[in-house]
Amino acid sequence: MTLKGALAAMTGLALAACAGEAGKAREPATLAAGTGEAARLAAACSGCHAGPGAEIASLEGRSAGDIRAMLGAYKSERGGTTVMHRLSRGYTDTEIEAISTYLATQAEGG
Amino acid sequence: MTCGLTRRQFAAGLSATAAATAAPPAFAQAAPRIVVVGGGFGGATAARFAKQLMPRADVTLVERSLPYMACPFSNLVIAGLRDIGAQAFRLERIQARGVRLVADTARDIDPARRTVSLAGGGELSYDRLILSPGIDLRWGALEGYEAGAETAMPHAWKAGEQTRRLRRQLEDMEDGGLVVMSAPAAPYRCPPGPYERASLIAHYLRTQKPRSKLILLDAKNEFSKMALFQAAWAEHYPDHLEWRAARDDGRVSRVDPGSMKLETDFESFSADVANIIPPQKAAAIAGRAGVADATGWCPVDATRFESTLQPNIHVIGDAAIAAPMPKSAFSANLQGKLCAMQVVRLLSGLEAEATALANTCYSYVTPQGAVSIADVYRNDGGTFESVEGAGGVSPVEAPGDVRRAEAREAEAWFAAITTEAFG
Repeated sequence: MTLKGALAAMTGLALAACAGEAGKAREPATLAAGTGEAARLAAACSGCHAGPGAEIASLEGRSAGDIRAMLGAYKSERGGTTVMHRLSRGYTDTEIEAISTYLATQAEGG
Repeated sequence: MTCGLTRRQFAAGLSATAAATAAPPAFAQAAPRIVVVGGGFGGATAARFAKQLMPRADVTLVERSLPYMACPFSNLVIAGLRDIGAQAFRLERIQARGVRLVADTARDIDPARRTVSLAGGGELSYDRLILSPGIDLRWGALEGYEAGAETAMPHAWKAGEQTRRLRRQLEDMEDGGLVVMSAPAAPYRCPPGPYERASLIAHYLRTQKPRSKLILLDAKNEFSKMALFQAAWAEHYPDHLEWRAARDDGRVSRVDPGSMKLETDFESFSADVANIIPPQKAAAIAGRAGVADATGWCPVDATRFESTLQPNIHVIGDAAIAAPMPKSAFSANLQGKLCAMQVVRLLSGLEAEATALANTCYSYVTPQGAVSIADVYRNDGGTFESVEGAGGVSPVEAPGDVRRAEAREAEAWFAAITTEAFG
């Protein structure tokens, strides 16, 4: 599922909740969002970025655009020495977009 | 800094989802039962995330050894650079999130009845079982290294008493003593671990017992981050660390804990301190569940992390065959998250879906310098594949500030991964 799909599913969930529909219909929708493509791709990030955010910064308050720009810079910069240079080259631009939007959305939700 | 969010943010996002998922009383479907065996970096993570993603599920985590002692950074303890207490992690915070913690040993698993029997006498039923049991040592696979040999010749490949024992033996050794390490053939837990350990022990010898020496005997000719380690050894420990490849008669064929001797095909070494890192396999419970194959490890479908040998049993972490993903804490933690996602999808009637995965692993080469390896993988088609053009190790030719920066990142990584796994 795409991120857009995940968000659409969450919107659908909210509408269903307002309409007082049975929970049975809800769970697949929220699970689809929480376990969707963007969530799966972003799952690796918190393996390093779940800490207080000093030497490895947190993204608290970062916009999707900022995250995307940083990932893009890591991906394109030659001669970089960090793990992020090596990792970012493994993701397509579409995936970087999905990860950036997902992380920014999660941060807002927090 | 790039993609990331704090644990608090991530958990907050998940609990927002969780709140919306809470089922009304009318939703009388029986709660799905998820049992997780093993409370390390894989299992603790899987239990926590499964509960967050599916609050109505009955999630039970079985761990026999509490507090959990983390292996990453335990080489610093062995070198006298870190307190063992910094390796201990409790699981109360995971309990507080609604996971039922069972402090017991999983004695047996019946895949047909979908039950886990406990040494303490109880039995747990599951709809989906996640096994993250870690490793067992193959006692006797190296001649002379039977159970009991680890008293005289510690392996220290499971953190805790063995870590302290090896540290104590190094402290007690006279200056001028000989330390001998034996590294196994792949696959084993933490591929660069023996070389990080050798580096840090060599640092201890150079600074505290300068007439002493470490010989690292290896069953391999190549190893993880090899060029980086060898450059560091040449720079920092030329007189204190000697690595011997398998092709140079480095493979240990027999040990004798009584006389403290290690033998290769043509040579015998009398050690004052001997650290034997023996051949390994998935922990015994995997064999009893029928999910380990002839290699001793557990084949899985890469997308679902489900055993290819037994349905409804998922295997993650060091016990699983996930190569080219290494048997690392980062891999186990990510597999825990992704496996939790796939399990709750399957329990909800959704299909498992593929993704990209990653690994990051730092190794200290000096107390203030570290090197890293990182890689990206994909798990579509049922197998794990490295992504071409991505990943790799730290630059071999690099100024000292790159090594120092990676040492600081390593410390931040440990704080992050343990928060992520244990709450």
